[in-house]
Amino acid sequence: MQSADVIGSGFSDKPKLNYLTNGTTLKSWLLTKDHKRIAILYLISVSVFFLMGGVYAATIRLELLTPASDLLETGTYNKVFTQHGILMIFFFLIPSIPAVLGNFLLPIMIGAKDLALPRINLLSLYLYWLGGALALYGLMQGGVDTGWTFYTPYSTTFSNSYVLAVGVGIFINGFSSILTGLNFIVTIHTMRAPGMTWFRLPLFVWAMYAVSLVMILGTPVVAITVLLVAIERVARVGIFDPAIGGDPILFQHMFWFYSHPAVYIMVLPGMGVVSELISNFSRKKIFGYEFIAFSSIAIAVFGFLVWGHHMFVSGQSIYASMVFSFLTMVVAIPSAIKMFNWTATLYKGSIDFSTPMLYGLGFMGLFLIGGLTGLYLGAIGLTVHLTDTYYVVSHFHYVMVGGQVVAYLGGLHYWWPKITGKMYSEFWGKTSAMLVFVGFNLTFFPQLILGYMGMPRRYAAYPPEFQVLNIFSTAGASVLGIGMLLPVIYLLHSLVYGKPAGDNPWRLPGLEWRTSSPPPTENFEKMPVVTWEAYEFGEDNGLDLEEDRRRDLAPVA
Amino acid sequence: MSAHASDKFVYHEPGLQHQFEDMKQQEESVSIGMWLFLAQEIMFFGGLFTAYLVYRSRYPMAFAAGSNHLNAFWGGLNTLVLIVSSLTMALTVYYAQKSNRNMQVIMIILTMIFGAVFLGVKGIEYTDKYNHGLVPMAGLNKRVKADKNAHHEVEKPCWEVDHNAPPVEHPNPRGEFLWTDCSLAKLAQDKNFLTPSERVGYFTGDQIDIEKFKGMVRIFYYLYFVMTGLHALHMIIGLGLMTWLLWTAWKRNYNSEYYMPVEMSGLYWHFVDIVWIFLFPLLYLLGRHFMH
Repeated sequence: MQSADVIGSGFSDKPKLNYLTNGTTLKSWLLTKDHKRIAILYLISVSVFFLMGGVYAATIRLELLTPASDLLETGTYNKVFTQHGILMIFFFLIPSIPAVLGNFLLPIMIGAKDLALPRINLLSLYLYWLGGALALYGLMQGGVDTGWTFYTPYSTTFSNSYVLAVGVGIFINGFSSILTGLNFIVTIHTMRAPGMTWFRLPLFVWAMYAVSLVMILGTPVVAITVLLVAIERVARVGIFDPAIGGDPILFQHMFWFYSHPAVYIMVLPGMGVVSELISNFSRKKIFGYEFIAFSSIAIAVFGFLVWGHHMFVSGQSIYASMVFSFLTMVVAIPSAIKMFNWTATLYKGSIDFSTPMLYGLGFMGLFLIGGLTGLYLGAIGLTVHLTDTYYVVSHFHYVMVGGQVVAYLGGLHYWWPKITGKMYSEFWGKTSAMLVFVGFNLTFFPQLILGYMGMPRRYAAYPPEFQVLNIFSTAGASVLGIGMLLPVIYLLHSLVYGKPAGDNPWRLPGLEWRTSSPPPTENFEKMPVVTWEAYEFGEDNGLDLEEDRRRDLAPVA
Repeated sequence: MSAHASDKFVYHEPGLQHQFEDMKQQEESVSIGMWLFLAQEIMFFGGLFTAYLVYRSRYPMAFAAGSNHLNAFWGGLNTLVLIVSSLTMALTVYYAQKSNRNMQVIMIILTMIFGAVFLGVKGIEYTDKYNHGLVPMAGLNKRVKADKNAHHEVEKPCWEVDHNAPPVEHPNPRGEFLWTDCSLAKLAQDKNFLTPSERVGYFTGDQIDIEKFKGMVRIFYYLYFVMTGLHALHMIIGLGLMTWLLWTAWKRNYNSEYYMPVEMSGLYWHFVDIVWIFLFPLLYLLGRHFMH
């Protein structure tokens, strides 16, 4: 079917252009409206921010190797963990999967030529760059020491660091993610190919839909909050500073109204990727498609109702705390639905332990711990003991790094052959996946224990009895660091020396595997018509996957 | 991008972007996109309205005092101007749908005039705040030198200031925020309807503290300037949009087949209008009965 099209369009003997070769000037990249090129530009940018944030993380772990604050002064340490948080959250985690993988794949997965609003997409990239440049300017001038949460009145009145520049950077960057979310929702509504009904959408697309809702409805609130902080800093009017009549708790409410849903921006896309990985690498239709799809929406909706659980010890009314605590437990239900459905999908599946699947399975283990520790923190009694300890730090790293970053790496490996047309080294891929999993646990499991023993977060020094576990954690961080650096090397290596991947290296039925690798600028030679259900591995998908697979597995004669 | 062979043979309607199959799909996409953008805007202003409501409910008398110094006439006039501009905007869409180019252009020009009048009135009001030391940031008010020869009045308590007397120009050498009238705090104290926050927020001991009261009025003016300022910024963006629309309508771009840009600009314009419809009563009207 596909080969006939290729023959039909091939009346010139020049090689067919794909999105990478269609225009090679710098201008054709910087002014591109092609979602795939924008995704590549995002990929480069978020990688830079990720590596910078990683350097800060390494510095933190080195400082915590010894109980005294010997490597860094306490003031410098404040800046280091703040900048680690700001770079990682606002400039890596939030754009990572949506802006890179989502941008690249969402139109292809639904059979569209591009996102519905390509110019808006380009605008969002430029806003991201502008916001990132401002934040970097602030960091280079001297940095910020408020913590990534910018709690008032410290951030508005007392901090002598570059809150203003970084705040404005985050404000602008916020509009970048709003525009991305807006574009995704419009695209999913109007750009689906004939036959691509809502319940034939890949679950990754559903996750993108849910995450876009959060981006559109949440981000403006933090934007206005950061703007008020910035104006308050300049004008010295007390809206958040209690010394002049303001209310710091109002800031916390407004900040967490966005930033709690934002933590779902930092895991929902990962769940979407993992749904793809688990189903496709078990070669089995996903168990409970509708439940997984709607649990994404449910997480997005409930995510807006639980922000108060960040303020259990901020003097919030106990009745409010009880409601927030209950709703926090409720969020566990859709998350658990996903976990159970993935497990049921694995059951009796034909599991293929390729690199992406290793990351996918790693996600399941790490997210399980991240989610369950979240329940402890959501209980109003226990949280008094655990608030602001390393238990919290460990919990959210399990969700954000163990969840989102691992899923992002899994997705990147999974779609790398589609994005670049080249296959990376499977050996190094597996090695790095294992290193990340082991290194991650070695880094953050000791922190759970440390936190439970009462080690507070955000201090450069700690009592000597905590040292052994901190050494474990720092050792783990080195392993994790190597695990994260390896892909940079072998993925770049594969660009030049990698084997050509072919259009469908994993032998999968999804729409993105039915176009060439790398895809042409318009994604498909002609508009695809979808006649099969999502994750259809049987006869109805119109491809001879099993035949191809037997040929792959057969020993070369 | 002409990578696609089929592009050369397919007829494209004018105004149809390359990623869409037909006009209907494009119109639907653009329309959903605009509504989502407006949802985003509602959340953006929503944060401000939340802050406003929190402080209004905490310090109602300070906010009423602040409200009373806004000129309800100018605010009312601006409300009228914006509502009429919404009418002309709606008529622009109507005439675009009727392919009537001349009436379109006229209506866009009228809309722009009303928008400019709105901003002009806003300018008059801001100037007035500047002259009377009501801008909540030190240094941004008119600097008035202290007159050393002036006859010093006997210090009267702040609640005996006659708020219907013509405004006195107080010396303000550093251009700071000025506020001398705390009669509303006294009123609430006498009639016993102070809120718990007000009991802490206005008083030092049993005495009304004008400095503390001034701080709360200053919060009102801070919110006033941020809210109306962001609204005015949206108006300026709207005027930019109208200029572009005027240019394209002049070139006869819109007709009954293709009028999406007009309709979308209209949605934006009406949204900015509606924000003002909420701002006007909140900022200008609530609590006026205490003084008028």
